[in-house]
Amino acid sequence: MSRWRRSVDELAARRRQQGECERAQDALSRVTSCFQQLATSLGSSADGSFLRDEMDETRALAHRICNGNPPVCLTCLSHLSVSPVCLTCLSAGLSRRLLCLLSDSAHSGVEDRQVSERLWVLFLSALENFLCDLRRASDLIGQFPLTRRCDRRSLVNAGCIDGVVGVAARVASVQVPWLTLEEESSPDLANHIAGLEALLSELQLRVPVVFWSVEATQPAWAEARGVLDEPDESLEDLMEVEVVSNGNKMAACCPPACCGLGCVG
Amino acid sequence: MMMIEQREETSKTETERRAKQSILRSFSSGEDIIAWLADRFQIDTQEARSFGSMLVALGYIYPLQDHKRLLIKPDASLYRFQTPYFWPTQQWPVEDTDYAIYLAKRNIRKKGILELHEQEQYNRLHKWMNHKWDFIVMQAKEQYRAAKERKKPDRVVFECQERAYWVVHRPPPGTVSAMDYGLERRIDPNADETKTPDFYERIMIFTQQSIMRPRVKSSVSIGALVKYCTTYNSHDPFLSKCLPSNPWLTDDVTFWTLNRLNVEVPSKMRVERWTFSFGELLSDPRGRDDFRLFLKKEFSSENLAFWESCEDLKWGTAATMREKAEQIYKTFLARGAPRWINIDGKTMEITVNGLRHPHRYVLDAAQTHIYMLMKKDKYGRYIKSPVFKDTMKKAICPEEHKFSDAQLEQNAKNRRPSLSPIILRQQELEQRAKMAANAPVDITQLCRFTTPVPHLAVYSGITDSPSLAFPAPSPACPSPISVALDSTSACERRLEADERKPEALGPVRGPVSKSRMALSLRRLLKRGCTPATMFASLSPKCHSAAGTSSRIQPISPDEPSQAPPRRIGNFFQIKVDIPPECRIYPIESEDEDEANRSASRGGVGTKEIICPWESLTPHNGTG
Repeated sequence: MSRWRRSVDELAARRRQQGECERAQDALSRVTSCFQQLATSLGSSADGSFLRDEMDETRALAHRICNGNPPVCLTCLSHLSVSPVCLTCLSAGLSRRLLCLLSDSAHSGVEDRQVSERLWVLFLSALENFLCDLRRASDLIGQFPLTRRCDRRSLVNAGCIDGVVGVAARVASVQVPWLTLEEESSPDLANHIAGLEALLSELQLRVPVVFWSVEATQPAWAEARGVLDEPDESLEDLMEVEVVSNGNKMAACCPPACCGLGCVG
Repeated sequence: MMMIEQREETSKTETERRAKQSILRSFSSGEDIIAWLADRFQIDTQEARSFGSMLVALGYIYPLQDHKRLLIKPDASLYRFQTPYFWPTQQWPVEDTDYAIYLAKRNIRKKGILELHEQEQYNRLHKWMNHKWDFIVMQAKEQYRAAKERKKPDRVVFECQERAYWVVHRPPPGTVSAMDYGLERRIDPNADETKTPDFYERIMIFTQQSIMRPRVKSSVSIGALVKYCTTYNSHDPFLSKCLPSNPWLTDDVTFWTLNRLNVEVPSKMRVERWTFSFGELLSDPRGRDDFRLFLKKEFSSENLAFWESCEDLKWGTAATMREKAEQIYKTFLARGAPRWINIDGKTMEITVNGLRHPHRYVLDAAQTHIYMLMKKDKYGRYIKSPVFKDTMKKAICPEEHKFSDAQLEQNAKNRRPSLSPIILRQQELEQRAKMAANAPVDITQLCRFTTPVPHLAVYSGITDSPSLAFPAPSPACPSPISVALDSTSACERRLEADERKPEALGPVRGPVSKSRMALSLRRLLKRGCTPATMFASLSPKCHSAAGTSSRIQPISPDEPSQAPPRRIGNFFQIKVDIPPECRIYPIESEDEDEANRSASRGGVGTKEIICPWESLTPHNGTG
């Protein structure tokens, strides 16, 4: 009787964990996409200290989601067969949780295993993508250092004025679905990159998950049919319109004071 | 190439950045950009325009209208600078994942209406990246929402930027971008190499080989280059127009269909190319066909067949080499072979010796010989022949295409892949088999002789000869009549160390001191030959018809009286240094003695050609 109860508990715990991981994955996606939006403005006329600060914050958040508190969690791996729920994992990051889930798979059924594998693959893809963006960002920050006033002259006028406020707000709205013990500070860019690379290789070596056994849950072209937040006016039309009435548009989006050198600087 | 470009670009980005500050607005017209480039870099307008086009093709500047054509137009069309995130300078890898996310985003935005090539790519990526597809869709949605947080104009600008980026890196059909996605090299040829001992060893070998190379005067080599350039100038599709149109430019494949390998009617340019050199003729399959036809008319197609078989051996699989070599020997080289080719004795000796341990290049000497033969003799005749003139008359000269822009787009959409190379190879093999099955048996055998070609110290193939009226005898039993007739045009040869000579010459020596001799091939085969003249012995039967010969040397009667069994070791030692005054070549007729013997034995069937290396047992009377 107790064994049956224990297995039910295990199942419930695992489901809960998977749910949390999924939510964490969503959060990670959000954060990384915001990071990408910010990164595209690097080096252009919209670049500035505000942008860079926002990027650092976003990065830190992503770091928290991914890593959490590693030292706490090392013990969880040894608790596998003993306790169905990894209590020490509660504050751990997504990587650790997924590790737990997957290592725990001896007890789980096939579907559970599949779900865990899917989450694993998604997480790793997200990490790779984020790492790419981080590398680009670090390259660009290296190329366009803004330490001195005159450096602003080297920025490219790519047409974006300022748009990151909304993005920054979006980042701030992201919630990590578990408690975080804010003990360690987020690393700086280079260390972050190195840390992520190490994490990726470690994760890939640790768990032998066959990538291509995971299948997509939705068919192709499905996302087009989904109803999104608001109907979207075709941006293509907007782009054409902008071209035609370029003079007016520029006047509209660019306050007169910005014209001339102000646009660049 | 891309690396060189990038290197140039990295040095340019500095100047660019400094330059872009002076362009005040976020977009400029094409003519402004060109003017500014010309001014800033002190170059003329034409060069500024090409430099500008290169910038667009690389993705540093993108056009606002007509975004798929990556070049700079010297008019009021507008361009904008790309944000450094999307620059190609740093050579960040362009991931398919990113492209998939972009396509998914576009799919969301346009509610499923993507362009054709985008749809194809989407399906392909969906198939190959199925495992991460959920992540891709999730990321696409998030990016879409994140982008919405920006102000409208910025959002538009960002969309333009992203679209321009992907037009450069995943060009739609008909767009030419400067991204050269060639093979990924493992080493960068421009990087400095570490000076290991291996490196120095390679340098040493290279310089040693350079020293060993034969030298040519620069005037000669430059002359050759100039000649080559002038000859091929009008045939080069880069330098002159390609009729009807260059498929790479117009996406219309008429040019390729008209110039297929086995097309019935070749084009005029193609036929003209055959006249440039023999190599051109042979390397074009259609030209080779024509040549083959010509040779068939001249009854010397065994040369080309031999050459082709040698090529087949050289390029074929290693497993089939041995059989191929045997086949070639049996067909072309052996005594009494159905398609016997005429090569000189030394070459034949080398070849047959080599055939004992056949390898890929064992027939190289013979092949070169035959190639030179064909080149010096047949090729010239072919160019003047009615076959060639006929082909040239029938050759077509297609009209040039004149496509409008809309038609060009249509062509681009209708591009289809060509026949699979597997199918082409199968067709080629079938054709080859068909040809081999219909291979003629050339009557180059016995009792024929060639017209004199005094400038050639070799046997030339059988050509139009007035004495072709002979009936073709069976290889085994030449009629004595033909031998007799042949003897009137025999050449003098000198023989040495011939064990059969005493027999043959005994009766001859007396009255035939001045006779012209017909020398049998068999006799030649048995005997060792030495240079200079060869002495022909005349069969006793031909006394009556004997002419005079002026060069009979006394033969030492040292040879043992009993003839040892025929040594199979000395094959084909036909010597070729025929003195110029000798006008007619000997006939490869059977040995009279053999004929005698065979006649006495009551006839012989066709002798089987046995490859010399297969058995070294002596044969009696068989070849």
